[in-house]
Amino acid sequence: MATAGASGGSKTFSFKVVLLGEGCVGKTSLVLRYCENKFNDKHITTLQASFLTKKLNITGKRVNLAIWDTAGQERFHALGPIYYRDSNGAVLVYDITDEDSFQKVKNWVKELRKMLGNDICLCIVGNKTDLDKDRHVSVEEAESYAESVGARHYHTSAKLNKGIEELFLDLCKRMMETAQAEERAKGNGASQSASSRRGVQIVDDEPQATPARGCCSG
Amino acid sequence: MSQRTERRGIHVDQSDLLCKKGCGYYGNAAWQGLCSKCWREEYQRVRQKQIQDDWALAEKLQREEEAAAYASSHSAHSQSTAAQHASVGHFSKFEEKKTNEKTRKVTTVKKFFSPSSRTTSKKEIQEVKAPSPSISRHASFDTDQVSKEFVDFLKNLHKPGRETYKQCRAFLLNMSSKKVCCPPETITVSISYQNKETFLFRQDLGADELSECVQDFYQNLADRLISHFKGSSESVEQVMDQVEKYIMTRLYKSVFCPETTDDEKKDLATQDRIRALHWVTIQMLCVSMEEDIPEVSENVVKAITDIIEMDSKRVPRDKLACITRCSKHIFSAIRITKNEPASADDFLPALIYIVLKANPPRLQSNIQYITRFCNPSRLMTGEDGYYFTNLCCAVAFIEKLNAQSLNLSPEEFERFMSGQTSPQFSSSDSDWPCSESGLGTTVTNPVLVQLNHNLELLTGLCTRQEAVMEAAQSLQADLLTWSDSVQQEVHNILEKYPLEIISKVSAIDANTDNDNLPSPIKPQVFAD
Ligand SMILES: Nc1nc2c(ncn2[C@@H]2O[C@H](COP(=O)(O)OP(=O)(O)OP(=O)(O)O)[C@@H](O)[C@H]2O)c(=O)[nH]1
Ligand SMILES: [Mg+2]
Repeated sequence: MATAGASGGSKTFSFKVVLLGEGCVGKTSLVLRYCENKFNDKHITTLQASFLTKKLNITGKRVNLAIWDTAGQERFHALGPIYYRDSNGAVLVYDITDEDSFQKVKNWVKELRKMLGNDICLCIVGNKTDLDKDRHVSVEEAESYAESVGARHYHTSAKLNKGIEELFLDLCKRMMETAQAEERAKGNGASQSASSRRGVQIVDDEPQATPARGCCSG
Repeated sequence: MSQRTERRGIHVDQSDLLCKKGCGYYGNAAWQGLCSKCWREEYQRVRQKQIQDDWALAEKLQREEEAAAYASSHSAHSQSTAAQHASVGHFSKFEEKKTNEKTRKVTTVKKFFSPSSRTTSKKEIQEVKAPSPSISRHASFDTDQVSKEFVDFLKNLHKPGRETYKQCRAFLLNMSSKKVCCPPETITVSISYQNKETFLFRQDLGADELSECVQDFYQNLADRLISHFKGSSESVEQVMDQVEKYIMTRLYKSVFCPETTDDEKKDLATQDRIRALHWVTIQMLCVSMEEDIPEVSENVVKAITDIIEMDSKRVPRDKLACITRCSKHIFSAIRITKNEPASADDFLPALIYIVLKANPPRLQSNIQYITRFCNPSRLMTGEDGYYFTNLCCAVAFIEKLNAQSLNLSPEEFERFMSGQTSPQFSSSDSDWPCSESGLGTTVTNPVLVQLNHNLELLTGLCTRQEAVMEAAQSLQADLLTWSDSVQQEVHNILEKYPLEIISKVSAIDANTDNDNLPSPIKPQVFAD
């Protein structure tokens, strides 16, 4: 069910994106910057920064983006699968000044690929580029790693509002492509997608297609 | 403080929750206090009757339609239709319209039965009809109410509305026909084989199959509606919400915590687990809520109430709404404490804490029910879905919780679990794992401080009361001796000065003529 609301051409796409990464790498800052354009603002009126949405219009197509923050503490690690179930994209954030946080991203990639295969669009994000002088993760290493696992790499700074729009826009485009490809794959039966599922419960106006002959009466 | 403790006491007496038959499982108000198993046995007959009543209603509606067919040329009727056309499906207007049009309801209900649908449903009735559908209708008031609202809502949608109603009726008939057609023996057999191969039986009684039927129905109907509404997903959502409400109010009793699953067993296990974890403190979970702030504790209480309330709702979306309200109260509590928007790292531990405090009835059954029968678009990407997912996480965390997840040593954890010690009573210098987590105050548990304070006060009161008692006793003794001494004194004085009446006669004698006085006053001579 990777593309719940994403069926058809002119329809609205609904995507679920999970934010993963170690504590303090800037997940919350990124999403607050993106959805509210705020950073470390004590007067943020938002009640919460754990579930945020953004409506986009990409080349004439409407996209509803739901961004799910996840609890990053180690003791909640085992709950990951519950969070990223059914998600279309994952944003894996590390702090460029923190080698360990990059290692953590690698672990997440392994887990996600194992659990969700290639259905999910992965973004690896090196945050806090404003602190480049303290960089401990090399650009080359990060980018080549991302390429090797079929993910895209982005450089962002939540503080300076750099690279964040691009990150989410790019992710949306990729998720749309995936959704459309999936649509086509199962769409050889075109409008038959419904009846290809077991147990159609829909009555047609013709009396012979009565529902009492549905999935389980026989 | 004491006020807060009082308000926190919303825990329902466990015995109130148990099945009235005393089988040990949890009962449910919707099942008249019985558990699903007993209810099923007890009310199998009643339920069949209700299904028959549904037929009766369907027939009645058709008769009405037929009757109204004669009146179709009446101008009054076409006017009312025109009035409805003017307000095509605006949900916001729906509420006010509803009251305006209550009187016209009878004439409009029939419109949901086009000639073709009439033949369809008649045919069904003949196909699956159980005995005679002549029993008068007495479905529960709630169900009736929901049906009425549903019809009222669909009225404004015209063709798609009629179509939707038709589909829903057909679906419900189809679902119930499955149950009617299955002889009870078959049901029993399929249950005893539940863990092996339910699919051997043609009847779709397994929870997963039921879920699949409902989900298929949602999907197909939504697909149809999308083409009706030319892709306006908001209108589709609105209709789908109403459809879910209508369908699930009807199906709730037969599909909530069905006995083909072990939901009920899991409920009990979770309930016991949470009870066994009563000692977990807010500090162990690193929750950023400062309960000493009155507003925070108010929100905590509301969150607990909301999550408990979930069990009383029938429609999956209403249950979800309870979780969402609970979450919002948690966010408020965190916001007041931290003065910044809550992130997932704040939210999840707080939700775990609330679940532990609330021990919501039939938690697993409710989660399963929502997962199986909620409209998927809500669960997948919506905000409600996010909170629901967090609730699932909280339950999973509670199930798997160990020493590590609370930053305790395994020995400590064991001691707490076995009830040998409790963090409340351990000395105040025990290291609270998250003392630095912005909880301000001190290393000591504020509850402990309060407790000590109260104890001191009590001891003080005790000694003072003893003093009072002593004083009272000595006062009593004093009183006794005083009265004795007074008596003694009086006695002594009486002894000392015996009664002597000094004769005044002589005095009077001296200067009065006694013979002139009236007899009573006339002095008498006593002595001498
Ligand atoms: N210099 C700099 N600091 C940043 C940037 N992004 C975030 N921070 C800081 O990093 C710290 C952690 O940011 P959060 O957004 O709370 O990190 P998080 O990943 O949500 O952390 P958890 O919620 O604990 O998992 C905060 O003090 C931010 O101000 C950035 O781009 N540049
Ligand atoms: Mg965060």
